[in-house]
Amino acid sequence: MKSILQASKISKTYGMKGAATYTAIQDLSFSMNEGEFIGIMGPSGSGKTTLLNMVATLDPMTSGEISIDGVSISSMNEDQLSDFRSEKLGFIFQDFNLLENMTVFENISLPLSLQNTKLEKIQASVSQVSRLLGISDLTEKYPAELSGGQKQRTAIARALIHQPALLLADEPTGALDSRNAATLLETLADLNEDRKVSIMMVTHDPRSASYCSRLLFIKDGKLDRELRSRGSREEFHQEILTVLGDLDRRPVAGVRA
Amino acid sequence: MITKLALNGLKRKQRDYIILFTGLIISIAVFYMFLTMSLNKEFITQNSVINNIQSVFLVGTVMLSVITFFYLFYTNSFLLSLRKKEFGLYELIGAKKFQIRRVFQIETMAITAISLVIGLTLGILLSLLVSWLLMNGLNVEFTQFKIIYLPAVFWTMIYFLLVSFITSSVHNMRLAKSSIIDLLRSEVQNDIVPEKPKSAVLQIFLGVLLLGIGYFALYFMEQLRFIGLFTAPVATTLGTYLLFVALLPVIVRKWKRNKTVNFKGINSFTSGQLSFRLSNLKWVLATIAMLIALSAGAIAGGFAFKNNAFTSIDEYWQYDTTLYNPGAAETELLNSIPLEEQLTFRFKLDDETMYFVREELVATPPLVKDWVTYDVMRPGSLPENLEIEDGYQIVPDTWMSALETVNPALFGTRNSHIVPLIEYERAGGEEISVMLARTNDFAAHMEKWQELARLQESTYTALFAGFDPETDSVATKYAQFETQYAIASGTFFMGFFLGLAFLTMMASILMFKILSGANNDIRRYDSLRKLGVRRRLLENSIHREILIVFLFPGVLGLLHVLVGMRMFSFIMDDPYYRLWVSLLIFLAIYGGYYFFTVHLYRKIVLPRQ
Repeated sequence: MKSILQASKISKTYGMKGAATYTAIQDLSFSMNEGEFIGIMGPSGSGKTTLLNMVATLDPMTSGEISIDGVSISSMNEDQLSDFRSEKLGFIFQDFNLLENMTVFENISLPLSLQNTKLEKIQASVSQVSRLLGISDLTEKYPAELSGGQKQRTAIARALIHQPALLLADEPTGALDSRNAATLLETLADLNEDRKVSIMMVTHDPRSASYCSRLLFIKDGKLDRELRSRGSREEFHQEILTVLGDLDRRPVAGVRA
Repeated sequence: MITKLALNGLKRKQRDYIILFTGLIISIAVFYMFLTMSLNKEFITQNSVINNIQSVFLVGTVMLSVITFFYLFYTNSFLLSLRKKEFGLYELIGAKKFQIRRVFQIETMAITAISLVIGLTLGILLSLLVSWLLMNGLNVEFTQFKIIYLPAVFWTMIYFLLVSFITSSVHNMRLAKSSIIDLLRSEVQNDIVPEKPKSAVLQIFLGVLLLGIGYFALYFMEQLRFIGLFTAPVATTLGTYLLFVALLPVIVRKWKRNKTVNFKGINSFTSGQLSFRLSNLKWVLATIAMLIALSAGAIAGGFAFKNNAFTSIDEYWQYDTTLYNPGAAETELLNSIPLEEQLTFRFKLDDETMYFVREELVATPPLVKDWVTYDVMRPGSLPENLEIEDGYQIVPDTWMSALETVNPALFGTRNSHIVPLIEYERAGGEEISVMLARTNDFAAHMEKWQELARLQESTYTALFAGFDPETDSVATKYAQFETQYAIASGTFFMGFFLGLAFLTMMASILMFKILSGANNDIRRYDSLRKLGVRRRLLENSIHREILIVFLFPGVLGLLHVLVGMRMFSFIMDDPYYRLWVSLLIFLAIYGGYYFFTVHLYRKIVLPRQ
């Protein structure tokens, strides 16, 4: 199976040299295959969002190497990173990050507009992806007129329209009620199952995590444990709860320097 | 404690405050300068030329104080809106309403006081500059002029403190009426989805119609008189507001509807930003368009007056200098000027009559203006027998003008008779010679004319009983030009600084309106950055967006000025003369504000590189 993401010995240290520094991620290595749905879990402050931001090329790492879809991002300049993001990555955020001043259609089509795609192609892609997510009736509305679930679907549509190599989601259900959250996660799982979309999701919610095919537990900036889903989703959920309880019981091994 | 908290809050909003108070400081400085120019008592009595300028500056003071009042009222309500949430928070933790109101009032007064100190200092420097420029421009000494004039300082302080007290009291009453919840929620404002226009077509039609009527009234002000004077401002203002409210959203929607353009790069984002911004700002933009018209109009009007001093003087005077009994000094000086024409005439005068030599006049008739056809010409043939009735000689109109041209200083003081040489020699009385000279460019030899006027002073004292060169003047082209030019220069400076003050205030409001929304935009630009939009693209979008926001009121305001300048044609020969200079000055200031706004906005919404 083709590897989509390779992270080797990545570290992230905040603060200036000499002054008080804080290591958020330390010598972390992992890889991800095409078509995987990986979840990143860990208590607050464990460094999971930092990890996602580094993979998302938003936050430069202090040391180490990340390559996505066979391309190393460590040596790219700001413009190259921008282009890389717009071509290879799709984002879903907790607070949707939709642009309120644009219609749903405009929001979804933005990644294609940025690549100067022909209008016919844009229209075809938007109608296809919005049908897939069940929001084709809403394309002329503004985000302010949508419900939370509809907003997040729009965000997913925007993240998918340019067929990115990797879809990154940061607490995507954080702002949704449980019913909308479940629908959203099923959508993500279906996308992963049917269309082989590679997804990496940060979450602290065990139920959300149970939709993943593999989980990475981060603690104090290090990879603490890995868990693979083998049986049903409910079994996986129980397994996750056990691991989390287990993690909480163990004494904290601090890495503050 | 509350005061201390409020002071900290003030510091946090420093940027917004500084922008708003640039307008106030400039207004104070100009206000002081106008007052100093118009109130300096010794200065008035000493200089007859200056007398005329002072009333001009007084008019400027009145206009400025009216606009300043509204500006202060507006900015003070902004200030309150900036602090509402904070005041709500104080109330939540137990501060009494009267304490908060006192804080707000003290704050407003303190800001006015600080602005006064800076503004007055700037005003003193401004008075120094303007008086120096006036002195040089008019070639006069302002010996009695005081740059630091206490009555002006006093009245400036009184006016601004009073206005800020009134406005903050009014807003304090509003503050007292609002509940804690209102205060706390005041910053949470949802973007209103731009509504679909229902009666846009009708509104646009009405707007264009009203603007047309306004422009028509401006253009035919001379014929319409009072009707025009009322119709023009009312119709133009209404038309402007209607157009901004109805036309702007339609333009953006049209633009968005062009899908090939809209879905290219981040154009859809730029147009989305614009449609929200323009619908939020349409009232402010319409107001700014009107005030731009006023300020550019003031600058252009003042400038046109100054230019008019040169063009109109040539309309009335065909000869650049008229020398009575010119001596060697005058002749020598005259020889140093490249002359187009030089004529000499003689006349004799007794108590009742002035006698001119017919042969001299017929041989070299001077240029006169025909006041019927407005042509410059030489008078036609002079009838042989000129009748005399009751001492008045009946001569053709053009020859009457010729006599006035030859002897402007004494024309009208006695009867003028044109007589043959033989008769002239028989007549008694003192003989005076007059020399007329003409160049092709009066303005080019201004210093020479001034010197000639000075040389003539002793002749005037000898010729005219009781002539005092300090207070009196003889009707000559240069003397008339001097007076006219002094008023024009005063009007020019008044217009320029009035325009500058208006412009600063308006641009401050526009800048503030754009920047106060910038905090909400940070998230948007951050999202775009995450989606992989290059920084350059974001910067371009910002440039274009703010340019269009500045452009609309600018274009309409300037259009008003272009049409409105015609209104001055009944007091000026050519109000459009060199209009581009004043427009260029205006554009430079307005453009400066644009770039500064872009710079500040960029600093807020984009992360540091």
